[in-house]
Amino acid sequence: MTFFTEYLADPRTRDALFEQTLEHIYLTAVPVGMAVVIGLFLGILAHRSPQLRSPILSVVSTFLTIPSLALFAILIPIVGIGATPAIIALTLYALLPIVRNTVSGLFSVDRAVVESAKGMGMSATMRLWKIELPNAWPVMLAGVRVATLLTIGIAAIAALVGGPGLGQEIFTGIRRIPATGSLESLLGGTLFIVILAVLFDLFYLAIGRLTIPRGIRE
Amino acid sequence: MSDQTNGDPLARLGTDAETGETMIELQELTKRFPGQETPAVDRLSLSIPKGEIVVFVGPSGCGKTTSLKMINRIIEPSSGHIIIDGEDVTDIDPNHLRRRIGYVIQQIGLFPHIRIAENVATVPHLLGWDKDRTRERVDELLDVVGLPPEQYRERFPKELSGGQRQRVGVARALAADPPVLLMDEPFGAIDPITRTRLQNEFLRLQTELQKTICFVTHDIDEAIKMGDRIAILQEGSRVAQFATPEEILTHPANDFVEDFVGTGATLKRLKLTRVKEVEPTEALTGRVDEDRETLRQRFDASDWTAMLLLDRENKPLRWLRGPDLRQQDRPLEKAGVRTRALVEPQATLSDALEEMLLGAAGVAIVVDRRGAYRGLLDIDAIITTIQTMKDAQAEYYRAAKLADPEDEVPA
Repeated sequence: MTFFTEYLADPRTRDALFEQTLEHIYLTAVPVGMAVVIGLFLGILAHRSPQLRSPILSVVSTFLTIPSLALFAILIPIVGIGATPAIIALTLYALLPIVRNTVSGLFSVDRAVVESAKGMGMSATMRLWKIELPNAWPVMLAGVRVATLLTIGIAAIAALVGGPGLGQEIFTGIRRIPATGSLESLLGGTLFIVILAVLFDLFYLAIGRLTIPRGIRE
Repeated sequence: MSDQTNGDPLARLGTDAETGETMIELQELTKRFPGQETPAVDRLSLSIPKGEIVVFVGPSGCGKTTSLKMINRIIEPSSGHIIIDGEDVTDIDPNHLRRRIGYVIQQIGLFPHIRIAENVATVPHLLGWDKDRTRERVDELLDVVGLPPEQYRERFPKELSGGQRQRVGVARALAADPPVLLMDEPFGAIDPITRTRLQNEFLRLQTELQKTICFVTHDIDEAIKMGDRIAILQEGSRVAQFATPEEILTHPANDFVEDFVGTGATLKRLKLTRVKEVEPTEALTGRVDEDRETLRQRFDASDWTAMLLLDRENKPLRWLRGPDLRQQDRPLEKAGVRTRALVEPQATLSDALEEMLLGAAGVAIVVDRRGAYRGLLDIDAIITTIQTMKDAQAEYYRAAKLADPEDEVPA
């Protein structure tokens, strides 16, 4: 096994892996960011309107059942190859945990709290921003975290449709099996994805510490 | 006769007090929930006088809570009118209306993510008060409800006990000094001992605040204790009787009221009389800063079997008997037995009786709100009060019998 002594010791591999890691971060952060914006909106809508709740949740659940490779392929004729189909597909995948947790987070807010806010004379918008969302936030943040981990994993497959990221290194390895160095590439890509996932997790831990009010922290 | 009397503001004040100005007027208020045949509230009309506590009481499902929640339009009425202080508020912006009405609910509903001070400041913020004024008001209110601001201001709701949270709930409702307060079973979810304390504190507060209060409960005892007037509601919020507690206990309007008030009306009436209405007797007292020998001489000269020892602020400390005063081995504040059964003037005779029974001494010590000694209340005073009530009731039934000889007279 020459993984550490040769593969990682080679500055060219290290540079390539580093660059692909940055691409992978980009390929995770952009879809998750877009999914947060869209998911927040859909989640609030689903919470407010009993008629729209089940259609919204069904549609976002359906996205996640489409095999990723198929979804990437479907998007290629529409938007071409590269990062774009990947970003669109990953956004759709990231929606479910975010929408779900926004809805259940909003439902988890004590009804008495909302009623007393109403009784104090807060408008519906104020109640949403000042009372409901802050109290739903821990659950919503957990949803964003799950969405992020999900996206990091699926993003690796984007390499198959010409997308960037650590998936390239993994597929390089797979394509060259059983040539020498193929296993190293496979492991290298995977290792960096795992490290990335751990770092993102720590990032969310820190975000939680900074943004969850002390009064509702566990 | 002279023109001057007409313009005299005091004379006018007198008239107002006599006629009883109406603060909240409900006119034919009706609520039909979709998909239900019978209305939850059916043409409820009621006038709530300014500065009084009016209690809505009735069996569950009678529509009392729905009626209350229509006043601040948490539940929008299907028809009818709500008039507050002469203004028809049925169609005005509900958010503006609610900022003028304090609202306390059973589950309290403090905002868990913000501190106590910010919770109390909710309505002042909505009304755009400046920071200094808000802070001052918050501290004042926390003081009023018995939570020292420097200790509680920065806490979060989860760091408070149920009773303390309800105090914050009351402070929050009072923040912008609304003339009207709506309270939906505010003490319902609190343990009995704390509940009694909160009720008494709230009544004491009300003597100062003179708010117009609508109070919902399912507990007739609480209604009798808290209400200046009680509206006993039947299904559909139909008013079975709207009268003072005294009137309801002595002259129930119909069988429904009689059943609802239930047995033990005499015991209930103990809840009507406050400790302050009964003349306290004097105890033999001594102060902790007096000389032991002086106390002993005073004790021996009296025919009391025990002396009440007070601290430097006149708060009751210990009951001392003869031997406690003669022995020198223990300091006075450790001798004898600890005083129990302390009641405030605002407490009811029923509370006092309970305290006496708990303390097993047959007396309760009356203290003011600072805890300083005011006098003694003994069990005889309570028995005398019960006797007076019974006489009055017997008199009433005798009069009723004379009026209608066919009527059966309860024993």
